Order: sequence, then C-alpha cells, then structure tokens
Amino acid sequence: MSSGRLLLVDDEPQIVRALLPALQAAGYAVEVAGTGEAALTCLAAEPCDAIILDLGLPDMDGKEVIARIREWSEAPILVLSARDLESEKIAALDAGADDFVNKPVGVGELLARLRASLRGRERRFASQAMFRSGDLAIDFARRRVTVQGEEVRLTPREYDLLRILARHAGRPVTHRQVIAAVWGAGAQVDAQFVRVLVAQLRQKLEAEPSAPRLLMTEPGLGYRLAAEDDPATPARS
Amino acid sequence: MGRVRREWRDQLSRYGAALALVAASTAAAEALYRLTATTRLSMVFLAGVLLAAFLLGSGPAYFAAAVAFLVYNFYLVEPRFTIELTTPEELLTLLVFLAVAMLTGNLTGRVRDEAARAQARARATTALFDATREFSASSDERLIRQRLAEHLAATAGGEGFVRDAGRLQMAPAGLRREDIPGGLPGAAEPAGGWTLRRLEVEGQALGTAGWRAPPDRRLSRDEHDLLELMCDAGAAAIARARLAAGKAEAEARARTEDLRNALLSSISHDLRTPLAAILASATSLREFGDSFDPGVRRDLAATIQEETERLDAVVANLLSMTRLQAGALAIQKAPFNVPEVVRRTVERRDRAHRRFTLTSITPRLPEGLGDPILFEQALGNVVENALRHTPEDTLVLVSTRLEDDRIVVEVCDRGPGVGEADLERIFDRFYRAGGARQTPGTGLGLSIARGLMEAMDGAIEARNDPAAGGLVVSLSLESAA
Repeated sequence: MSSGRLLLVDDEPQIVRALLPALQAAGYAVEVAGTGEAALTCLAAEPCDAIILDLGLPDMDGKEVIARIREWSEAPILVLSARDLESEKIAALDAGADDFVNKPVGVGELLARLRASLRGRERRFASQAMFRSGDLAIDFARRRVTVQGEEVRLTPREYDLLRILARHAGRPVTHRQVIAAVWGAGAQVDAQFVRVLVAQLRQKLEAEPSAPRLLMTEPGLGYRLAAEDDPATPARS
Repeated sequence: MGRVRREWRDQLSRYGAALALVAASTAAAEALYRLTATTRLSMVFLAGVLLAAFLLGSGPAYFAAAVAFLVYNFYLVEPRFTIELTTPEELLTLLVFLAVAMLTGNLTGRVRDEAARAQARARATTALFDATREFSASSDERLIRQRLAEHLAATAGGEGFVRDAGRLQMAPAGLRREDIPGGLPGAAEPAGGWTLRRLEVEGQALGTAGWRAPPDRRLSRDEHDLLELMCDAGAAAIARARLAAGKAEAEARARTEDLRNALLSSISHDLRTPLAAILASATSLREFGDSFDPGVRRDLAATIQEETERLDAVVANLLSMTRLQAGALAIQKAPFNVPEVVRRTVERRDRAHRRFTLTSITPRLPEGLGDPILFEQALGNVVENALRHTPEDTLVLVSTRLEDDRIVVEVCDRGPGVGEADLERIFDRFYRAGGARQTPGTGLGLSIARGLMEAMDGAIEARNDPAAGGLVVSLSLESAA
C-alpha cells in the first residue's frame, strides 16, 4: 500500500534514523533532505504529498522555507521543531504551515497529525458542502449548523469563526487567521474579542462549555476544531 | 590663637631683619667714613632700604627708611652724634633722603608682592590644569574621587577628602559625620577648620568635598577660588564617569541577556534532539515492532542507546558548567592511567562512528594527576567537536605522549581547520567558528573542556596542523611521577 510521497526535512541524522522506519512502515515513500536548499530542490524535481519540516535548519530559517514552498506548492506542511517558542509556531502557521508538532513526539501522534493534514487538504479542494464532527454538522450551502440534529442559531461572526475552524478541522488556526476570516484581513482586533467570540460559540455548540470537546484552545496559538477522527492524543504544547 | 601668635612672630622677625639691614648699612657707612672721611654717604643707607624692600616687602621697607633717616641724621649729618640740624641744606638733604627711601621702598616692595602673587597664580593654574587633565583621563569614579581629594590636599597644603553622596563612610579626623552635609551646601560653620563644599552637576548631588589648611596657614582668596574650581572640575568628571559606567552596565546587561537566551535555546535543542530520537525510536518499536525487519529493530535500539548516552553527556556538561560558574567544582586530584581513560572515551564513540585511530607515542607513560571523570568529560567534548565539524569520511587521530613532565593528549582531525584568529576564541562560551555555524551544537563543549582542564591545573590549546591542515587540540595534565 502507498499513502503517498513524503519529504522529511531535518538536519539531525539521529532524528531521521529514528523516524524513517515508522514512516515507511505507514506506507509513505520518504525522501530526506538535510537543508532548506536541498528540500526546495527535491520538491522541484518531484512534487510531494506532504512535508515534515524541522524549523531549525542550518542554511535558512524554517519560515523562509515554508514561504518559498508556498510560492508554488499547496502540499501540507507539518512543522517539527524543538523550539518551544510560541511566536515561532505562530509565525510558521501564518507563513503557511498546516500544523506543528513539538519534539519530542511519538510516531503515533506524528502519523495521526500527518493524516489529518492530508485529509484537510482533500477537504479544502473537494469543497465539501457538509462538515461533520461528532454531534456537530455544518451545511455550508445553507449556512445551517446543527448539534445532535437540532438547529443552532449563530450570529454572522460566530458562523464565520466556525467556518474557518471547520475548514482547518484537526489543525490549529492562529488568532491572526481567525481575525482575518471574521473581521477581515488587516483588521486591528484585540485577541480578547476572539476569546469572547469563542466563548459564545462554545455556549451554543458544546455540551459542557467549560470542558470543550469540539472547540479546543491551542494555548498561546489559537484554536482547533476537533476533526471527526481526531488524533487520540491532544496537541502537545 | 596659636596662628595669630605665629603670624606676629613672623612679622616681628621681618621687622627685625629690616633693623639688621639698617645696622649693616650703618656699619658699611662707618667703614667708608673712616677710609674717605666723607659724610656724603646717604646712598649706603638708601641701598639698605632698597634691599629691605626687595627682600622683606613694603612694610619693613617703610620701617627701614624711617630708622635709616634717624640713624643717618644722628650719625653722619653735622653736627655728628646729634639730631640737631644747623643748615637748611642739611634739612633738605635729609627730607629728600626720606622721600627717596620711602618711594623706592614702596616701589620695590610692590614689585616683590606682585611677583609673589603672579607666582601663586601660575602655581594655581598649573595645579588646576594637572587636576583637570587627570580627571578627564579617567573614567573610574573612585579614582577621580581619590585624585580630587589629593589635589585639594595639595592645594590647601593640608588635608582633603571627597565623600560619596548618600553613602556612609568614615568622617575625616576632626570632623563629625553629621557635620558633612548630605543634601545641604556646606555653608554651615565647618568644624575643625574644614571647608566643605557640595559636589553637584545640574542639580544632581555627587557627594561632598572638604579641605583644611595646616593650623599655621591661612588660605588666600585666590587659593579658595582655585579649590572651588577644582571641585567643579572633579564633579564634572564624576558625572561623566557615572554616565559612562551606566552605559557600560546597560550594554553588559544586554549582552548577558543575549547569552542567556542563546544558552536556553541551545540547551533546549541539545536536550530535546536526543529525546526526540529516543521517543520516536521507542514508539516506532512499540507500534511497528512486529512488522520491522530484525535489522531495523536493532538499528532503532542502537539509536535509543546512543542518544541516551548523548543525553547523559549533555546533562554532565550542564552540571559541570553550573558548577564551574558557581566555583563549586571540587577537584580531587589523584594519579590515574591516562591512556585507559582515553581508550574508554574514544571506544564509546567509535561504536557509532568508526573514525578513530589511537596511538600512544611514549611507552610506559607515567600516571597523570587529575580527576579521571572530569578529564574523560573534557576529552569527550573535544572528540565530539572533532567528529561534528569534520567530514564523515575523515579520520580523527588521538595520541598520548609525555612532554616536559606533562602528559599530553592530542586530538587531530583532518577537517578544514580553524582560522588563526579563531584559535583562541573557540574556547569562549557560545563561540562558534566560521563554518561551525552550519552544524548543530551549542558552542559550549570546548569552553567546558577548558574550564575542567584549568580546574585540574591542566591546560588545553588549539592549533592548526600545518602538514595535514586539520585542527589539533591538545590537553595536558601534570605527570604524577
């Protein structure tokens, strides 16, 4: 079986050595690049279905690699980084990365995140009219949201927020991305407004708003809507 | 009141000297009278008055003129040995003599006084110039205070002190601490003959300066002005030094902050990379172990072992660095077999890399003096450094020999070497030479190695191998023999 072609970009040989067998066992054909330049060359030679990228590369900044890949490729990028700086992750996501995992990470979680990113891409390009996750269902064509089959009335902003989260289901959406989708790109909105809006949405969607199971917070980063078959392990941060 | 008495004595002795000069003139006139039998000898007395004016100043000169007038009249003017005058010519001669004596005495005295004042002014200018030059040459506030106190003492001819604002300090002799103004200008009547002055620049209090002359001396107006000027110059220099020190401190703080951030991010990297490899290998074995080939399983297990050892080395380095910084590294120097430690250090790494060649140049090497565990760590850092910064297909040579009663272990690589300018700096914390910036690493290993070696009274040096072109790092220890 083949799950697709995967590009693993990491300059630490021991990490590559540790990840390679599991990725291959999961059915991916894995290419390895040790530098940002090598990664770009490899992508140009043959497109990949997904990219696992270490942010701390010796030759160029990880964010720059993401930006240059995004110039012409829509392949999902999963950022793998030992850096625990929130600002780095946000910058990587804003630059176009799909998700991130912190080192150290178990291969189970890494593979689950990889699957979620790949599915997210399919969903985005298939422009599905319906979204389902647990009890939640969204009918994009009719702007109808139901929980356990019962219709929930949302304000336009709440709906916009839910839509951007659903489009990225299973993957994090940064505060900035939320603001751009709800208030418009370049709007000067305090993160506090986002928090209030998220709280309102949770009141309407969650069975227990104080212990959300659908609309999860990514501390310091933004939010994540649980995908239908979300990775069992929550995001490590 | 001792000072008043002394001044009186001083004045009295000057008038006495004037009297002696007149007496000397009288003796000279007597000698000339006996030789020439002339009584026209007023010039001799005039010379005495002039001399008195020149040597003793105007007051004694007037006194000498008056005494000389009387003596001349009594002794030489006919009729001799009376003060009677017989002719109007003689009266005229006497009056002219008196007038000339007074006038020349006055003039000469003034010239003398003026010369003395000019000299004092020149001294003052020189002193002020010297002080200002010294102040501006220094940016050390403490030194400026000390110099200012010295200059004040020298100018006052007695003692001087400079006290920091708001800091308790011993008060100088004869002055109570509460007499030194903290915030108030030293206008209050000073105790013990001290004059106090507040040092300030643009309203900022910088301390207090004080001086006092010896008991037998009174400071002139000019000297006071000079002392005040010195205080102003000193205060300006102190303010400038503080500004410079503040700037340097801010820069040092920023540098420390940079270092701390670099340290944190490199520690995070060094700890998490092996952890990531271990976790990925372990979870791979758990989830896919059954489907892996035996070779893949062995490889993952080897990764776990190697990365655990690497993690152990990182933790040991962190502990050593902390201890070295705190100065808390207790060194137990004891004789130990150096080649054995060298072999152990290298063999552990050779399992993974197979790039080492070991040689021992001196047979029957004496034992080295140091701590074998710390030496192993230092050598391990040097060896790791060689492995990391050279191409994978090149060898690393480790040799041990005796040289001038020291045991020297050399690690030679066949890599590109290091620029001459970087040879010393590669032992600095966080310093990573040119090409090394592209390889992962913290820039801590060699600096810890140097710290450990120096703590054991050993040494570590780097040089380029002129023949093969690689880097040679040599560690040396005292020999126990």
